[in-house]
Amino acid sequence: MEWTDERFKVYQQLMKEIQAVDFVLVELNLYLDTHPNDQQAVEQYNDYVRQSAALKSRFQSMFGPLYGFGNSYTTCPWSWKEAPWPWQV
Amino acid sequence: MYTYRKAYRPFVSPNDPCPPMWVKTYETPPQLYLGFQPYGMPQFPPMEALRWGTLWPALFAPYSNPYKQKRMGGYRWNGQMNGSRYTNS
Repeated sequence: MEWTDERFKVYQQLMKEIQAVDFVLVELNLYLDTHPNDQQAVEQYNDYVRQSAALKSRFQSMFGPLYGFGNSYTTCPWSWKEAPWPWQV
Repeated sequence: MYTYRKAYRPFVSPNDPCPPMWVKTYETPPQLYLGFQPYGMPQFPPMEALRWGTLWPALFAPYSNPYKQKRMGGYRWNGQMNGSRYTNS
């Protein structure tokens, strides 16, 4: 799959969205550590977990595995080590 | 502009080899005043939260560099520039 500018833009946009959703999950996780029975935050957390899973599956269907070592399906040929790497994006 | 930065005047000895620092400041982030985080605080949207570095605007605490506004060697803190060598007024 060769890289076009437009495809790389989609890659970056999706990556940014995943990053934003994951950051919210981190914040909520830390918040829920000290507020375990905050019902509204728990619902929000679960919403974002669904959202993050959806974003990641979409990303992986278009650009191959995000994580290695059993955390995401792979393509054939094995493309986990292919570019671009995080610092190249 | 209200900031969380507080200042104090360190002791300046006449024997100090280097030019004295009359005023030193330190950052007091909001969580010191907040104590236990209340439920249902207003939140940033995910993209904004990523940029601001926190999910809750109330907890945003920029660790700004006080020495950026240093002029003519002296450190300026709300107007007072340098005390005389002994009196720090």
